[in-house]
Amino acid sequence: MNVTYNWLKEFVDFSETPDELAALLTMLGLEVDSMVKLGEGLDDVVVARVEEKRQHPNADKLSLCKVNNGKEIVDVVCGAQNFTQGATVALAQIGSVLPGDFKIKRSKIRGEESCGMLCSDKELGLADESAGIMVLDADIAPLGTPIFTALGLKDTLLEIGLTPNRSDCLSVIGIARDLAAKLGVQLKPLATTLPEAGEPVGSFIKVTIDNPELCPRYAARYISGCTIAPSPEWLVKRLTSIGIRSINNVVDVTNLIMMELGQPLHAFDCDRLAGKQVVVRTAGEGELFTTLDNQQRTLQATDLVICDAERPVALAGVMGGLNSEIELTTTAILLESAFFKPAAIRKTAKRLGLHTESSHRFERGIDIDSVGRALDRAAALIVELAGGTVAQGALDVYPGNSERTPITFRPERANGLIGITLERSEILDILIRLQCRIAENSDGSVSVIPPHYRLDIEREIDLIEEVARLNGYDKIPATMPIARVVSDRPSRHQEIEKLVRELLVQNSMTEIINFSFTSADAAGKLLLSDDDPRRVAIKLANPLVDEHSVMRTTLLPGLLETTAKNMSFRSLDLKLFEMRRVYFPGEGDNMPHEPLCVVGAISGSRDGDGWSRPQEAVDFYDAKGIVESLLESLEIGGVSWNSEQVESYYHPGKSCSIFAGRDYIGSVGELHPTVQKNFGIEKTVFCFELNFEKLVKLSRTKKTITAPSRFPDSSRDIAMLVPDEVPASKIIDCVKAEKAKEIEQVQIFDVYCGAGVPAGQRSIAIRIRYRSFERTLAEEEIVALHKRVVTNLVNKLPVTVR
Amino acid sequence: MREQLEQLRNGAVQAIAAATTVEQLQEIRITLLGRKGELTALMKGLGSLSAEERPVIGQLVNSVRDEIESALGTALAAAQENLIAERLSSERIDISLPGRRPLRGTKHPISLVIEEVSAIFAGLGFSVAEGPEIEHDWYNFEALNFPPEHPARDMQDTFFVENSMLLRTHTSPVQIRTMLKQKPPVRIIAPGTVYRCDSDATHSPMFHQIEGLMVDTGVTFGDLKGILTVFTNQLFGQKTGVRLRPSYFPFTEPSAEVDIACVICGGKGCRVCKNSGWLEILGAGMVDPEVYRHVQYDAEQISGFAFGMGIERIAMLKYGISDMRLLFENDVRFLRQF
Repeated sequence: MNVTYNWLKEFVDFSETPDELAALLTMLGLEVDSMVKLGEGLDDVVVARVEEKRQHPNADKLSLCKVNNGKEIVDVVCGAQNFTQGATVALAQIGSVLPGDFKIKRSKIRGEESCGMLCSDKELGLADESAGIMVLDADIAPLGTPIFTALGLKDTLLEIGLTPNRSDCLSVIGIARDLAAKLGVQLKPLATTLPEAGEPVGSFIKVTIDNPELCPRYAARYISGCTIAPSPEWLVKRLTSIGIRSINNVVDVTNLIMMELGQPLHAFDCDRLAGKQVVVRTAGEGELFTTLDNQQRTLQATDLVICDAERPVALAGVMGGLNSEIELTTTAILLESAFFKPAAIRKTAKRLGLHTESSHRFERGIDIDSVGRALDRAAALIVELAGGTVAQGALDVYPGNSERTPITFRPERANGLIGITLERSEILDILIRLQCRIAENSDGSVSVIPPHYRLDIEREIDLIEEVARLNGYDKIPATMPIARVVSDRPSRHQEIEKLVRELLVQNSMTEIINFSFTSADAAGKLLLSDDDPRRVAIKLANPLVDEHSVMRTTLLPGLLETTAKNMSFRSLDLKLFEMRRVYFPGEGDNMPHEPLCVVGAISGSRDGDGWSRPQEAVDFYDAKGIVESLLESLEIGGVSWNSEQVESYYHPGKSCSIFAGRDYIGSVGELHPTVQKNFGIEKTVFCFELNFEKLVKLSRTKKTITAPSRFPDSSRDIAMLVPDEVPASKIIDCVKAEKAKEIEQVQIFDVYCGAGVPAGQRSIAIRIRYRSFERTLAEEEIVALHKRVVTNLVNKLPVTVR
Repeated sequence: MREQLEQLRNGAVQAIAAATTVEQLQEIRITLLGRKGELTALMKGLGSLSAEERPVIGQLVNSVRDEIESALGTALAAAQENLIAERLSSERIDISLPGRRPLRGTKHPISLVIEEVSAIFAGLGFSVAEGPEIEHDWYNFEALNFPPEHPARDMQDTFFVENSMLLRTHTSPVQIRTMLKQKPPVRIIAPGTVYRCDSDATHSPMFHQIEGLMVDTGVTFGDLKGILTVFTNQLFGQKTGVRLRPSYFPFTEPSAEVDIACVICGGKGCRVCKNSGWLEILGAGMVDPEVYRHVQYDAEQISGFAFGMGIERIAMLKYGISDMRLLFENDVRFLRQF
């Protein structure tokens, strides 16, 4: 809602400056989003008089003027011809800056000194074009008065961002009312004298309301003999000042009154209304109607329309029809002022995408009580500007009763809930200032009837809010609540989520967050089979773009897109992870599933760039290592790595599924080259994916900690040739199967194939550390135990000890 | 013998003085005091001396040996010290070369802010609650006092999905789910992802909020002001000014927008605060009785407040980020700075 400082002053007296006013309104909940000060910085342009005017000696078209600015006489060279000696003009003095950053400086023009400039309307930003300088009335203001002040144009436009509950403030009077209540002053009375003449309105036109539930009040006046013409300058300026384009005198009046009182009005060309009657009814299903903006609309049975005897002439509360629009030839006008049901207007406006100043107000609710006043004020102004006669009386069909139900209000509850200690009288005074009618009840409560225009006040709490608001939020003391102790700790889910994030960050990984929606073909890019459940995604009914049309069922596409994008920026050493929800449709009426997932991708060199280390590229084992350390930290046991069944998006020979016991918990592997290509990724990428919900289920809270042995250790190495088809893990398993408690650790420390190793085999070296918890092991004991281990390996596995 | 000893001592003192390295000194020790050393040889001759001479010479031998030992010890310590000094003066590395460090992992700024805000509220006794992102209209709107066709629904452009469900437009449905699950006292915050059908430089179709809810007996609007003042002071600094001004949300009444003194200009007015000196960071208010009705709480018996803040907004203010889109572009050159 736009309103100007001066316009508000017409309704209420206040002494606040524009800045103070803005702060006051904001603290009232009428937030001033922005302010435009008209004439700001132009105070050096003043009213002045040309005391002497003579020909410039060196230029035919210039004159030399002696100009009186109220304090002194200055020399000004002027090129305009449209003024005489003695004229009152606008003088831009030295130092003033005109619109367009035009600085006025002392200068010499063709050898003659000029100490200022006589301005035109255009130069002051008051007109698009002007012929010559601005010549003012001699008595406009004392010499030296700033020109914007003298013209009454000094004003400030306030742009107020209204919350949807404050429909009463969609008008200048509404904002003035709140201001008056805050300041504790009376609103200036609004005087309207409407001359009526001739036949009563009923002899010209008839109104029938078919759907009173959608139109509880419909009022109209008939004005004949009007002349449609451009609006006078004051009206154009006023509308322009709040951003409304001038159309003609009649339409401008309806707009002006709407802005002033908040009542949308519509003027019909009465001669174009068939049968001289108005019917308010719902539209026929599929009925066609062309609105003022020349768009043909298909109506539905829920749309409310204003009709003449034959056809719709306006879409009620939204927009008039082209068929009854005011034209230059119009002389007879039917002026409509009505109240339409907010929900009905909202439905129609929303469906047709037709959001107008009128629909905006009706949707939020207008003051049913001031329908008549707005009608009369507009009619009076129309005859003043367009001539004509207002027929006697108004048609006012108002079948309902608008008396509001009183609200029971307890002043002490207001104090208690807000946390203040106002006197009862102060509280009631606030309500009275808001134009509520109050009556004391015997039990100490008060019956309050709010004014008609405050549709947002219906309950006691609404009144409590008004008390807090008018008294001022800044006057509420900040206190700390006295609260009961609540015993709670983060859920296991929350704790593990935090832990996993910490662990991944410790593993040098950078967390990313992608949008939860993705494109419908994301699953296809991952080569998922047709029956893969991840192909069934929840679709958005109204996506903004196709790439964001479904809720993601896997985090991989986002991760891979991010990988590709970063690589394109030459960030090639990547360690990324994302831990977010994925979404699966619920079965039947069940809620969708939103399990948390964890994915990671690594690529490029292991340790980043450096001068002191050879740059080694990350591989499968880096990805696996991250997963291993994560699972270990979460105390998830019984982990197995299965390369038999792997996800479609991995390299089949360099990937595996991860199980903990029988539970599938995720996968790790090198990205399939086709998938890599599908996502436009330049370099080899290794990924992992973990089902977070499974991690939570399987993780053990209890850690088993053992005190370390205090006795010396002894290590033995075994190097062996191992056929490729025998997994290295079997060797470890085989040693561990020994179940000797003296075997402290088994570690693979070398894997080699190449020169000296037969094809199809690898040389694998393991180191076994022996140590007892009870004593220092004797050399013979170790030798014996180690021999058993080696024998066992050779017997159980097709390996050859080198 | 006496002379021999004297000679040996003098020779030894000279040799020790002349020696410069640890090796030389050790050589001397072996030559003189070793198993086959000169002094050792002399001592073996003691047996041939007379009973009178023996103790006298014996004593002399001991004193010569002590003297040599002590001189050797001192010289050896000095030589060792020299050796260290020499090593220290000859060894130099270029300490300006960068250190060898593991790549540093980073949390996303959104996660960082959620953790920080959650920690502050944990200190105030608030625990963390969660709820689904794909919600029923009832939880997201109706129970929060947004009736169907209500203009307040226009404040939140909604993404719809099948089965008349929607992507939650705020974290407020968690209030409803929590109150339906438990009786007062309630003290929770609910961080989460929310969605609105809007995308430009200042709006992202997906963003994050933290909801807060406290319901107990006798909770006042002043308490809300107190909690939020403590919170903003802990998050943005002890002296950060806080201002509440009237606003409207269907599920709170009275409602407030909460502004903090601009953290960029300190309240003097700048581009970020649009010259107002204030930055809007929170919406808040007393829980509306209509909400209590939907969760079967008795508004006459209890009262409470709720608040909600945009995490992106806080992240942008905290880290001086001017474009929200940076938060979701996932450029590691941006993310690795956190």
